[in-house]
Amino acid sequence: MYEAVAAYPAGDSTVSRQARTAADYGYDGLVVRTREADFDAEAISDRYGIEVVRGIEVDAADPQSAAGAVGNYRPECSVLLVRGGTDVLNRYAVETDRIDVLTRPMVGDGDFNHVLARAAKTHRVHVEFDFGPVLRASGGPRVQALQELRKLRELVEQYDVPFVVSVTADSHRQLRAPRELRAVGEQIGFSPDQLTAGLDAWGEIVARNRERADERFIEPGVRRGPYEQ
Amino acid sequence: MKHLPKHIRPRWRYLAVEIEAAPDADIDRGAFQRALWYAAGNLLGDAGSADADLTVFGFEYADGIGEAIVRARREETAAARAALACIDSVDGDSIGLVVRGISGTVRACEESYLRDRSPDLTEESVAFADDQRPAIRRDDVAELSLPEGFVAATELDFH
Repeated sequence: MYEAVAAYPAGDSTVSRQARTAADYGYDGLVVRTREADFDAEAISDRYGIEVVRGIEVDAADPQSAAGAVGNYRPECSVLLVRGGTDVLNRYAVETDRIDVLTRPMVGDGDFNHVLARAAKTHRVHVEFDFGPVLRASGGPRVQALQELRKLRELVEQYDVPFVVSVTADSHRQLRAPRELRAVGEQIGFSPDQLTAGLDAWGEIVARNRERADERFIEPGVRRGPYEQ
Repeated sequence: MKHLPKHIRPRWRYLAVEIEAAPDADIDRGAFQRALWYAAGNLLGDAGSADADLTVFGFEYADGIGEAIVRARREETAAARAALACIDSVDGDSIGLVVRGISGTVRACEESYLRDRSPDLTEESVAFADDQRPAIRRDDVAELSLPEGFVAATELDFH
């Protein structure tokens, strides 16, 4: 099970501090969303026994600038995330094969529908369930976040869209153990298996992209054989 | 009032909870209990919250780390776990927490899941991001005081 977090300088904890807590809570890996974060993945994994993966979360105002950032950052990271939040950005993200995860699609003016759901499935773009507001907001904003999660969940179930689950932690104190997340998910209508699948999906993305980055990889199902030309 | 015969007394479970907060955060049992009730009321509603019947039994906290034992009805441990996960802050201090385990008695809970306290804090100056910073340190983790506020780090970041 993996979790994806923001780290210093975007968050209040460094990558190694987040990794220490995540390992303690039983996660197998950690995806770092912050591009500016400076860390030594090997040292952290030696010390705390958790895999740390470089991800980049692109936060752009419109699809044009997002497209530029996607082109620039794709080679630099194992997991490329694009923050949604407007209809055009969501649409752009789910229709781009190079993007791994569309984060926070329902925040702000953003919305999700059957068209985007189908596109996300075709292009294998994972949609993120953001549990942050469920754990940290209260009152009206939390009710809205729950409504949005429910709508997204119904679409994801209907169209079999790939998805990931995260609590979008900025600090190690905002992390919660997988078992707690399953309990919270159950209260708001997710099945425990869905939560586990959502946390495992980060790991699957990492494995998929590692395979693609392998020099023997040509396309899915085709690998260079052990023969000299 | 005379206490209930044993076979109709409620069955309880005790959740061992580990708490982590900023070193300067001041959290006491009452504040934690209030936060727990508030979280349960918001997540489970009045009815669910009454069913779970969450009570903070043991509470120990000092210098940023603490342990609590939370009692819940036997059938409601999942709801109790969910409510605990939704405690984001106590009296404005953000806290991290994790359920270490669940037992049928307070004593078993303490003995099986709650560890001894970590060594005390030390204040020292560490090298972080090409500068010397004052830090509050325990074991291999530290809270660094930076111009923009506290940053939590581990000794892997000191160089």
